[in-house]
Amino acid sequence: MTKNLLIKKALVIDSKSIHNGQTVDILIENGKIVEVKKTIVSKHKTFAADNLHVSQGWIDMRANFCDPGYEHKEDIQSGLIAAQKGGFTEVAVMPSTYPVTDSKSGIEYMLNAARESSVNLLPIGATSQQMKGDCIAEMLDMKKAGAAAFSDDKRSIQNAELLKTALLYAKSFDGLIIHFPNDKSIAGKGQVNEGSTSTANGLLGLPSLAEELMVARDLFLAEYCDSKIHLTCVSTAKSVDLIRNAKAKGIKVTCDTTAHHLLLDDSNIATFDTRYKTMPPLRSKNDIKALIKGINDGTIDVIVSDHTPEDIESKKKEFDLAKFGIIGLESAFGVLNTSLSKYVDLEKIINTISIAPRTIMGLEAPTIEVGNAANITMFNPKKEWIFTESDILSKSKNSPFIGSSLEGRALATYSGKKLSFC
Amino acid sequence: MAELSTDHLLGIKYITPKDIELIFSIADNFKEVINRPIKKVPTLRDVTIANIFFENSTRTKLSFELAEKRLSADVINFSAGASSVTKGETLVDTVNNILAMKTDMVVMRHPNAGAAAFLSKHVDAKIVNAGDGAHEHPTQALLDAFSIREKLGDVKGKKVLIVGDILHSRVALSNIFCLQKLGAEVRLCGPATLMPKYIESLGVKIEPDFRKALEWCDVTNMLRIQMERQETKYFPSLREYTMQYGLTKKILDSLDKEIVVMHPGPINRGVEITSDVADSEHSIILNQVENGVAIRMAVLYLLAEKIKR
Repeated sequence: MTKNLLIKKALVIDSKSIHNGQTVDILIENGKIVEVKKTIVSKHKTFAADNLHVSQGWIDMRANFCDPGYEHKEDIQSGLIAAQKGGFTEVAVMPSTYPVTDSKSGIEYMLNAARESSVNLLPIGATSQQMKGDCIAEMLDMKKAGAAAFSDDKRSIQNAELLKTALLYAKSFDGLIIHFPNDKSIAGKGQVNEGSTSTANGLLGLPSLAEELMVARDLFLAEYCDSKIHLTCVSTAKSVDLIRNAKAKGIKVTCDTTAHHLLLDDSNIATFDTRYKTMPPLRSKNDIKALIKGINDGTIDVIVSDHTPEDIESKKKEFDLAKFGIIGLESAFGVLNTSLSKYVDLEKIINTISIAPRTIMGLEAPTIEVGNAANITMFNPKKEWIFTESDILSKSKNSPFIGSSLEGRALATYSGKKLSFC
Repeated sequence: MAELSTDHLLGIKYITPKDIELIFSIADNFKEVINRPIKKVPTLRDVTIANIFFENSTRTKLSFELAEKRLSADVINFSAGASSVTKGETLVDTVNNILAMKTDMVVMRHPNAGAAAFLSKHVDAKIVNAGDGAHEHPTQALLDAFSIREKLGDVKGKKVLIVGDILHSRVALSNIFCLQKLGAEVRLCGPATLMPKYIESLGVKIEPDFRKALEWCDVTNMLRIQMERQETKYFPSLREYTMQYGLTKKILDSLDKEIVVMHPGPINRGVEITSDVADSEHSIILNQVENGVAIRMAVLYLLAEKIKR
């Protein structure tokens, strides 16, 4: 425990804070911010670093911890350690477990397993029972037990009537439905983005259309139900356009994209390297441009790691047979910042992993101001570094970024009355 | 002596025009060999080749096996049906088990795109791709181009039409790469439901009108309609496909020039082409089959040269 800490000469990136944009010293005592000033003298342990920036502790809005059921890929402990390594103080965890997290007991299991950690786990319950897409799960009971939102993860709800029901049902207790848009009848067995690379390599293409059709449908449903909806892993230019227009019309939609979709395009799959196989598939360079524009103009609210651990047996395979998924907690900030630093203000970038996700999920914001509990990520957005396998604390190593040079890195987190280095 | 620029034949995409010319010149020699009274040479004595077929094949397998035997290689055959694959063994383990019995080369057909490339990274043997999903079938493209060269003197500058199911066809893809590398122009014709949306990014053109396409071309390659591969119906009936894309003697005779007719086989007579076309002087379908053995001998010979012995 490091109940007391003095953070020296840190530039505050927190648009909610009166100190935003100032370089200050921050004094923390017993887990609370007690003083924020230009210069503070204190006997407490100090933290200082080159080009030190601080923000509200980062939050990842979608990760998979595979626990219970697939603990050989990841478990709650290793997942939380990986999250902290990446600078996250909170992480929302998907219900793709075995059994599926679709009941109060599943939510309680996750919360109990994470109790000792300085990283706060936010369980996401399934929208439908066993994520089968047949009938809605006991969302109210899960919400009372601590579920932060509801989602069938990457199993898109194909039945429009069911999603309509879920959206309407969740309204009475202000439940948030997170939906991954992917029309299965168009997606088929598509393995990679449909484009020139899929064509030249004989890989079955998954057209952007599969996503866009369902984005359009979901927007109609949200409008009809007058419900909020959060679309996750948005990856194509037309999806961004559709959501932009919907927001302008006043439809209560928010969305996220993943860090890796901002940096990698589908040309990477030309060597059949399964580390690049992910869902939705990596798209084109034009799509990346549109995603960046969407972040800049506020169409895309959140950036997620979409941390999806897969063991080597699931990845070292023929491309068509390998599992979809990339881990991302440890590399997320470096990856998204490398992609965005030239085009997007740092404040906006940090917003997507701190203030925006908390607003969408209705969580309290740990603003960097005197009197608030200290929940802070310390980072250097200019730090050049090479991401290596030793940076991965996840049980699974399915990252395409091993060996990549990245810009920006978390240095430490302070949360749960504890300073932890990244 | 000249050698190939690669250690494996994974696809036409990965080899150079020079490699193709080299394969052709060696194949010229082997074509002469297989027409001798004694059709066998001792070139690959003490080389062991495994033919591993995870997908059904008759003629490609036969052609490879014959090529290997004409070169005096030791040959083992492995078919997925009665194998450990169905017991859950991985591809790499299956092949490594075969290699542990001291095999030098692997000829593999596999239902997944990229399987040959994947294998080449994980096992220590020369790999020849005999078809991987809808990706490539390099020896087929080589024998097709070789047959055009034989019939018309050169491939450069020739106009080649490929007709049919482009979406599921590794033959089409390898042919496109091969013909382009040799300087031919390629157009495609077939139902829009069987045409990849981004195929023109490969530098080919689509000509939807079959008649116009035939008038344009010097050679037409009529792909087999693979009903067994299609999960969705891409056209309502074979009858309607044939009405639009079937090549008949009547159409051929009405063109104001002679064109060469090819087919990778096996033919669905009366579907892609009628019997009288298949058996006509326009057709070089059986020459393709003969050349297949010579081309495969050349490929195996050139890759065997790369084995450190």
